[in-house]
Amino acid sequence: MSEIGSFSLLLALALSAYSLLAGIAALTYVGPQAERLGETARRAGIATFAAVLMAALVLVTAAFSDDFSIAYIFHHSNRDLSAPYKFATLWSGQEGSLLFWSLLLAGYGLVLRLRHKTDQRLFAYASVIIAAVQLFFLLLLNFAAHPFAVVEGQLAADGNGLNPLLQYPEMVIHPPMLYLGYVGFTVPFAFALSALIMRYPGEKWIHITRRWTMVTWGFLTIGIFLGAHWAYSVLGWGGYWGWDPVENASLMPWLTGTAFLHSVMMQEKRGMLKIWNMWLIFTTFMLCILGTLLTRSGIISSVHAFAQSSIGSWFAWFLAFTLAVCVGFFVVNKRHLESEHRLESLVSRESSFVFNNLLFVLACFTVLWGTWFPKLSEWVENTKVTVGPPFYNSVAVPVALLLLLLTAVGPLLAWRKTSLESLKRNFLWPSLGAFAVGVVMIVFGVRPWGQISYFYSFVAALLAALVIFTVLSEFVRGGRVIAGHTGQNLWLSMVQLWHRNTRRYGGYVVHFGVALVMIGILGTPFNQEAEKELGYGDKLNIGKYTLVCRSYTQDDKPNYSSEWAVIDVYQRDQLAGAPLETMYPERRFYKASQQSQTLPQIRPHFTNPLVVTDLYLVYEGINQDTGRPIIKAHLNPMVSSIWLGLLVMIFGTVIALVPNASAVRAIAPARVEAVPLGAGD
Amino acid sequence: MTATVAFICVFVTVSILFYVFYLPGTLKLGPEKTRQTYLRERKEVVYENLRDLNFEYKAGKFPEADYQSIKTSLEDEAAAILAEIARLENAGAPTQGRKGARS
Repeated sequence: MSEIGSFSLLLALALSAYSLLAGIAALTYVGPQAERLGETARRAGIATFAAVLMAALVLVTAAFSDDFSIAYIFHHSNRDLSAPYKFATLWSGQEGSLLFWSLLLAGYGLVLRLRHKTDQRLFAYASVIIAAVQLFFLLLLNFAAHPFAVVEGQLAADGNGLNPLLQYPEMVIHPPMLYLGYVGFTVPFAFALSALIMRYPGEKWIHITRRWTMVTWGFLTIGIFLGAHWAYSVLGWGGYWGWDPVENASLMPWLTGTAFLHSVMMQEKRGMLKIWNMWLIFTTFMLCILGTLLTRSGIISSVHAFAQSSIGSWFAWFLAFTLAVCVGFFVVNKRHLESEHRLESLVSRESSFVFNNLLFVLACFTVLWGTWFPKLSEWVENTKVTVGPPFYNSVAVPVALLLLLLTAVGPLLAWRKTSLESLKRNFLWPSLGAFAVGVVMIVFGVRPWGQISYFYSFVAALLAALVIFTVLSEFVRGGRVIAGHTGQNLWLSMVQLWHRNTRRYGGYVVHFGVALVMIGILGTPFNQEAEKELGYGDKLNIGKYTLVCRSYTQDDKPNYSSEWAVIDVYQRDQLAGAPLETMYPERRFYKASQQSQTLPQIRPHFTNPLVVTDLYLVYEGINQDTGRPIIKAHLNPMVSSIWLGLLVMIFGTVIALVPNASAVRAIAPARVEAVPLGAGD
Repeated sequence: MTATVAFICVFVTVSILFYVFYLPGTLKLGPEKTRQTYLRERKEVVYENLRDLNFEYKAGKFPEADYQSIKTSLEDEAAAILAEIARLENAGAPTQGRKGARS
């Protein structure tokens, strides 16, 4: 079976090399056969997908048939592994994940090449750039990280098994989402570079890539949040984000990609920020490659880096080559990127996008610096330095608050310039709403003057409220216009508003989701934790709860053995009567890999009418000195809001992807031909 | 087993080569982008900006003076674009791009 896999990879390599070279020849050669040559290049790109898919299917089949003659399967699977995790073997190790990267890229390339009639010449350039990236990954797969290498000598009866940290349902979904995000940014990158190379007139390329970029951003967002939820649900430290280098690697392209999604609107609507946007998407793509390097090379130590290898130099050369190509074409063609308009006022939609972009880039640079500083320090001074959460938080917290402010303010500002009268009209009700939320919080006992972290949380809550009221006011204002025009009620009008400009109102829903996420994060300063050795009947108090250990028990399954605690949860010091609930924090021992893994149990509770708090229990194992089990408990307020916010963000992204309904004709502006009434961005 | 593997590899290779290199008939090529096409795109964007402005004005987001000021500048921009389109069409430039875009 490994022979078919190896052959498929070689065939894919040859096809992508042909697609690249014939594509370049067709774009540079002016002659009667250029079109036919270009068509063969496009078809070779499509066929690359078939060849890579065949290789991936062979690897998955090998995992399901326990073919331990393939070294990759031997190292990352075992006979008793359940079916979903056997499938996940494809991306559990370095070689497989590179194959998966290549498969996704070939899939994106397939869709792009099938849609080439949209703008054949632009798509031909983009196809060549995608073929170049594809070629790099296929060279890696064939010559540096071969997934079909065979085991020498006697075959083992069973494999080493999958890393226990990866044996969790979300880990079947999280890596594909993240990779769909990483790989997907290749498409807008390819179109941007194509537009630069061919001096593409106008902004149509942005219009073409709009959905690609939003889909990619959506996948990356889901991937990041699933990773955070996995960390929260599996790692057992009670948090969801530790500023780990691999977490940071996924955050960096998300930050620049989010900046791009906003600033690109200025280019579409006003012909501004062309150089900035070009470099934003170049940077985003290179950060995606850097993220893959960090995840896969083990160059920086991380709990999430599941591979160690020497492919780092390949990625470093590829990054250097990509940068050189981007700089080269930029220097030659930069005059093509001159802005058509200038910023007219500091109080305008444009300036809010500029500030938003500067903040996103500042955040990205901070994360990049913090991630690489330990390695740079090691290289330059030969000393190991650790950069921890205080460094990141010192920048991330104020930047996040300012971004939240811009999220609230931006939609209320006009394009070009905004007068004081406009500001008063648009900010009055959202500001009063946010003020009311502040009063309610103080009434319910929040004291922002207690600590600086409480103050930050209080400000974040006010700003999140401002965002939510801004979004609501935009829907209500727009709905009233539609209602006045059609005679429908306000609710139906607001639904119709969505249909008329899905991108704009989908974006507002995403903003609403961001506000919910921020509400979840701002609960962090109020976290509590307690740890105790608990024998039968022993008690542990935390917050409003008393935990009583009822018993410990064990189980044995083919893939792992497990033990767990049975903990009754009561209202604090009210042990008479039935418990509120019973919880079962667990600890597993995986037989194939001989590794242990905690599985915390998490239950959300309303601790007051406004606050949902997670009770998070971890069975940490037996204290070797006393022989008694250790239970650690956390109370984490508002974390559920983060996961709810993600769902809202996904919903908003899906809305933004739906095509607009046709606009209603209305009274035309006086000096130009009639334009339909709709809601622009 | 070896013969089966060899057969699969040969079959796949021949199928792919046939797909890539067998191009019957002539290829249909799209137009190359012209200045006029670009101007029409810009015109659509300016009209969309006007629609946006009109809608937000109706929603009560702008006072009359702001609305008139921004509308005038957008209309000037649209007028300049329309004038250039008319000038290019009168000069006899092709309205559709020339053939020759490659796939």
